[in-house]
Amino acid sequence: MRKLFYPKLALTNLKKNRSTYFPYMLTCIVSIATFYTMYSIADNPGLTQMPGYGTLSMILWLGTVIIALFSTALLFYTNSFLIKRRKKELGLYSILGMEKRHIVKTLFFETLFTSVLSLALGLLLGALFSKLLFLILLYLLNLSTPIVFALSWGGMGVTALLFAGIFLLTLLTNFWQIHVSNPITLLKGGQTGEKEPKASWLLTLIGILALGGGYGIALTVQSPLDALLLFFLAALLVIIGTFALFTSGSIALLKLMRRNKRFYYKPKNFISVSGMIYRMKQNAVGLANICILSTMVLVVVSATVSLYLGQERILDERFPLDITIECADDQAQVDGVRLAVKEQQEKSGVAITDYYEYRNFSFVGFSQQNMILTDIPKDFQGNATNYICNVILLPLEDYNRIQGTNETLEKDEVLLFAHAGQFASQTLWLDERSFSVKKELDSFVLREKTETAPQNSFYVVLSDLDVLAEIMAAYPQDSEPAFLSCTTQFNLAGSDETVTAFSAALREECKSSIPGVSVDSRSLNREDWYATFGGFLFLGLFLGMLFMMAMVLIIYYKQISEGYDDHDRFEIMQKVGMSKQEVKKTIHKQILMVFFLPLLLACVHIAAAFPVISKLLLVFSMTDTALNLTCTVVTVLFFALLYAVVYSLTARAYYRIIQEK
Amino acid sequence: MPLLEVKNLKKIYTTRFGGSQVQALENVSFSVEEGEYVAIMGESGSGKTTLLNILASLDKPTGGEVLLNGRDIVGIKDKELAAFRRSHLGFVFQDFNLLDTFSIQDNIFLPLVLSGKSYAEMSRRLSPIAEQLGITEILKKYPYEVSGGQKQRSAVARALITHPQLILADEPTGALDSKAAAHLLRLFSDINRGGQTILMVTHSTMAASHAGRVLFIKDGVVFHQIYRGAMTNEELYQKVSDTLTALTTGGGGLA
Repeated sequence: MRKLFYPKLALTNLKKNRSTYFPYMLTCIVSIATFYTMYSIADNPGLTQMPGYGTLSMILWLGTVIIALFSTALLFYTNSFLIKRRKKELGLYSILGMEKRHIVKTLFFETLFTSVLSLALGLLLGALFSKLLFLILLYLLNLSTPIVFALSWGGMGVTALLFAGIFLLTLLTNFWQIHVSNPITLLKGGQTGEKEPKASWLLTLIGILALGGGYGIALTVQSPLDALLLFFLAALLVIIGTFALFTSGSIALLKLMRRNKRFYYKPKNFISVSGMIYRMKQNAVGLANICILSTMVLVVVSATVSLYLGQERILDERFPLDITIECADDQAQVDGVRLAVKEQQEKSGVAITDYYEYRNFSFVGFSQQNMILTDIPKDFQGNATNYICNVILLPLEDYNRIQGTNETLEKDEVLLFAHAGQFASQTLWLDERSFSVKKELDSFVLREKTETAPQNSFYVVLSDLDVLAEIMAAYPQDSEPAFLSCTTQFNLAGSDETVTAFSAALREECKSSIPGVSVDSRSLNREDWYATFGGFLFLGLFLGMLFMMAMVLIIYYKQISEGYDDHDRFEIMQKVGMSKQEVKKTIHKQILMVFFLPLLLACVHIAAAFPVISKLLLVFSMTDTALNLTCTVVTVLFFALLYAVVYSLTARAYYRIIQEK
Repeated sequence: MPLLEVKNLKKIYTTRFGGSQVQALENVSFSVEEGEYVAIMGESGSGKTTLLNILASLDKPTGGEVLLNGRDIVGIKDKELAAFRRSHLGFVFQDFNLLDTFSIQDNIFLPLVLSGKSYAEMSRRLSPIAEQLGITEILKKYPYEVSGGQKQRSAVARALITHPQLILADEPTGALDSKAAAHLLRLFSDINRGGQTILMVTHSTMAASHAGRVLFIKDGVVFHQIYRGAMTNEELYQKVSDTLTALTTGGGGLA
């Protein structure tokens, strides 16, 4: 009987505190299930067989690490909330004659019970859901070949070890808290720290500057590659700004309101302003967390969804035609390519459409105003990546053939097609040599015209091969010799399988029979892309879910702690002459403000981040800004709806506490 | 006409799920004249707090009536109740009931702000009261920064600033040390001499001995009362103390 005293006490405690322990255990269970699922998927040996495995594997392992870190932080946060709520109870135990070591024993059993139960349920849930999520992943990856899914015992071991470690650490921090406090402070645990918050103008200023800087970067960033580099800086600044503004800026603003006597001493403002000053102090960090989590969910989900949905467009941008074959302008090679294409076509039965063959000299150049240079100028200041472009020089003869036109050009004249935007100049400088642009083409069979592209391409049609040869002779020869190549591009008509089979067979054939030929295929690349973007989307949704759960939990705990604080305030206000309705109304207003402020700010964040995210997506050749906008707006709306639902559900818990006698 | 008239007040509590009933007040009748300082004494569970809550219109009686200046406060509609309380009654509680979110000054201003008074009017009213109660120095501080005695004097200021017809005090010295309690009771006497009617509920003989009249409640009825007459505080203290002894030892012959 005596032996069982502490386990029994622990069990009773858990039952008595179920309103706070239930969500805590739920968090534990979901965190465990999430981690196990991610781990077992990343660890699945079947995945090594699929195309694009490298990137996908990296994404999944990254996800596993993020989940591990995030779960640790989340569990610590919820634990600190729990122990704060229970200090009074623990204080009472010591007043009643329990020694610290007895309390420690009780806490130990409580942790033991919650840990074992959470681990068991979490792993069970994980085992059930990992199968489902695995199937979802395979679907997102667009895989036809089935991969066997197996329970990962190793994964269970790692999960159990990780979370047992986390639980042990939280227990140790609780022990420490008990150790350093005496019964009286424990008894008053819930009431300490009632100091009025200080508004630090310096911190507010830092917040404004950080947020302004972050927004500034996000709004002004020009090139996709800059966006990639600066995105994390901007995100960091915005996070700093959010924290500073929530903790200090909000209070500074409210105090400014309070200083205005005419405004402050009005029934409506009097209670709200002073109440908000108080609430912000206790909630600022939690609210900043909610805001940042919300923003993360929105950014990750909207970006990955747009990437995934925009894949086909991205493929179009990267691969204007189904097949691109490059070989040297050498009769043997060109014949070899023609033969290989013909043979494979007859074998597979796909139809070839839009067949273009042209000689060209192409290089990666540098374009500025009306100049196209073969190298970055020595005196260039700034970010050269914005001016890097692809340059394709081709003779008029081939142009007329593939375009079906009958243009004529003088030696110093060119036709010019810019893939993105307009070249808009009458003269073209190719290094030292100037040409007059006879006509800037609005359309070209090889490439579609777009507004923006991650990297521009210029097709320059020269009068004949002699001019081309002269330019090639002047091309800097230090890296690799310039040579004229022959490019064959065509589209295919047929089912996805036959197209893929044809592409794979053609690539094999060319590789084995004609050395030095490269074959690039849209359908072969598509598999890789689906692996990458499907992986991204999977991770995005997964993390989105986890962040959302964390957010819901923080909101719930905030509501509860607000409720306990407001309970007393509510009574006092009624005693000194406010009606129940008035009190309810003012409190409701404050709670609404407190909880929807983070959502509002998150929306502002996402609006400011939109340009930089669009630019970032350009790195993946995602040019469809309209699609991105739609995805973002839909994500935001969906999220706001969910947020409101969570709020109204947790608000019930809040009002229940308020009305307790 | 008396300022406050309580007639045949009854209060029965029913537990939430029906079942047992508890009679907190059986039949309470008394009246308070304007300018009086009345203490109501009784042990824990005698019905003191129930009575005060009904007088404060925080609770409704099961039967009987409460007339303030001839107006039945039991019949006031819920909507008007808060405003009525604010303008006619002042409250002093055992645990001060100051809001931590407000400075002392703003706590005192609270009822006036709710009534829509201007800032100038409020500060005009505050300065003499703060002076009298000796809290001018701490007006800018917050409740958690001052002592218990200072808190209670601030609460008194909050009760006085609306110029209420009646001040209801519930164990005002209950949470104070003896020095602070003595100080507060002196202040109550001063305020009463200035014409303010005070009704105090207490089980402290010391507190009761400052009043002009002491009512004793036991088991939900007014059992006995003592008028100060020409007695000093010490004499009244003795009398009250004797009465309490007689009450608790079961003597019923005093009435």
